[in-house]
Amino acid sequence: MELLQNLGHGFGIALSPTNILLCFAGCMLGTLIGVLPGIGPIATIAILLPLTFGLDPTAALIMLAGIYYGAQYGGSTASILLNIPGESSAVVTAIDGHEMARQGRAGIALGISAIGSFVAGTIATLVIAALAAPLAGIALIFGPAEYFALMLMGLAFAVLLARGSVLKAVVMILVGVLLSTVGPDLTTGQLRLTFGATWLADGIEIALLGMGLFGIAEVFRSLEHGEARQVRETHIGRLLPGPEELRASARPILRGTLLGSILGILPGNGAVLAPYASYTLEKKLARDPRRFGRGAIEGVAGPESANNAGAQTSFIPLLTLGIPPNAVMALMVGAMTIHGIVPGPQIMTKMPDLFWGLIASMWIGNLMLLVINLPAVGLWVKLLKVPYRLMFVGIVIFCCIGVYSINNEPADILIMGALAVFGYGLTKFGFEPAPLTLGFVLGRMMEENLRQALMISRGNPMTFVERPIAAVLILIAFAMLTVAVLPAIRKGRDEVFSE
Amino acid sequence: MSQSEPVAPWKRAVRSPQNLVSGLVLIAAAIVVVLMLGNLAQGTLRVIGPAMVPRWTAIAIGIGGAVLVVLSFIEDGDALERWHLRGPAFVLAGIVLFAATIREPGFIVAAPLAMLVAGFGSREVRPRELIVFALAMTVACALLFRFALNQPIPMLVLPSFSINV
Repeated sequence: MELLQNLGHGFGIALSPTNILLCFAGCMLGTLIGVLPGIGPIATIAILLPLTFGLDPTAALIMLAGIYYGAQYGGSTASILLNIPGESSAVVTAIDGHEMARQGRAGIALGISAIGSFVAGTIATLVIAALAAPLAGIALIFGPAEYFALMLMGLAFAVLLARGSVLKAVVMILVGVLLSTVGPDLTTGQLRLTFGATWLADGIEIALLGMGLFGIAEVFRSLEHGEARQVRETHIGRLLPGPEELRASARPILRGTLLGSILGILPGNGAVLAPYASYTLEKKLARDPRRFGRGAIEGVAGPESANNAGAQTSFIPLLTLGIPPNAVMALMVGAMTIHGIVPGPQIMTKMPDLFWGLIASMWIGNLMLLVINLPAVGLWVKLLKVPYRLMFVGIVIFCCIGVYSINNEPADILIMGALAVFGYGLTKFGFEPAPLTLGFVLGRMMEENLRQALMISRGNPMTFVERPIAAVLILIAFAMLTVAVLPAIRKGRDEVFSE
Repeated sequence: MSQSEPVAPWKRAVRSPQNLVSGLVLIAAAIVVVLMLGNLAQGTLRVIGPAMVPRWTAIAIGIGGAVLVVLSFIEDGDALERWHLRGPAFVLAGIVLFAATIREPGFIVAAPLAMLVAGFGSREVRPRELIVFALAMTVACALLFRFALNQPIPMLVLPSFSINV
């Protein structure tokens, strides 16, 4: 079995003492930052990105993956204990999870979410390993026209899944694309939209965008509330669920994993749907749906598994096609670029150590969350007691150091400040920064592929219709955009998100 | 309130001030971008020039802004939200100070300075506690980034004393 051989190779890489240590450090630090109220995985990765700069690429990605899982887990912890979800996918966990916490079953909720995530992570790791090779094969027959069409489809999907106004989501993606054009032109090298400033001449770094829009801007938003978020004394209780609870959760975990694995693969942030889909499914299947919202363990087990499975399989489009499906993966692209790696189908063949090592470390990361982070939950609760008036100062200085260490360029810090004000303004006007980030990363790739596709077709735009794969992808993109503006679907979408 | 201020008729016509303002800002931004791209070639479809993608993206953003403006007179929407200036003002001041002092005199000065200023962004700031926290964080970050992670962050640079750490 080639699959097992490859995975074995990966474990050989990931199980080296340094990499285990880095994976562990990533999980711990990711949880540490991710558990902070209101900080989702995007901000966590942006803030911790600089920690990986000194490492070699494989080690850096292993640590980043650890940070990512830690951030996810930290987000669930904050949702369950405080009812403050850091991001939309944790909203679902908060419904029944926090209710369980109020009934004194916080430990069980955290325990089942960790167990569910571990099961989901294990299965998703196998899914990635199994699907990666065939998908990368497909990627190789893709030309620029197909790539462009695929990215267009991803963006259309992101619009469909964005919260709030469809128009505003489209505008955000366009603004992201526009920001991606700042800097030198790809072929002629002419500077675009730099205001004549030398420090904009290289364009805007994605990590900068992440720290500004998600890190510092979130600080601005949180400072409005003051210390209202103080943590009350929470009783954790026992962590391990009993046989009864395990039996009730087993099927939801498996169903959630299946849903999450499938949705996560879709380009355009399908993973964000996974917890909602799982919650709705469990509620429909339950003998007594009224228990949901009142501390039903299935309402935690299912969505948490779905969330983790989706979080993991969303690596697939990135690793095989080089296309980040969501804002978190967009940051991963940024991180890879900083280490000189171009994501895409060639990674698997040219850098097998990195590829399989990363996949194996995903599983190890999930295991660590279960056996190390879960017992440490008391520590995270203590951390939540650090007053925000000090916590935000730490976040600010971390972002400053992080931005400076990318290029050793003080002007970058100022750009981050400007982006933070911009991000704060966006939320004040009802715009979401996540589609912008995705548009930003895809924008660069789309422009490149558009140019190449049209050069190959000698300027004939019909190439996107005449090539069958591209035509189908573009058709799907338009269908999704149409669906997004249909009133009936819009209503349903709003309900899903407001539930 | 028993006595409300008289509202101008055009203000009553606006049913979503948030969308109106954001639409206008988008249109203005689009115009600025299109003007900035004025001296760059658009090229042809076969050989796309540097200006094509940003120009048409900006035009699309402008159209999006125009739609928002129109919608703001048709659909009910949110009112303008209040901006709280204290947090952003102090945090930004801290960030600017960090940028200005990181190269010279270096991190040992830049970090505490930035944190002490940024800390006042919270209404609940307690100066003494903040000083202790800022100093502890400076030491911790210096150890972590410079020594544990080998980042080339200048710690203390004082040319007149020929100190460069």
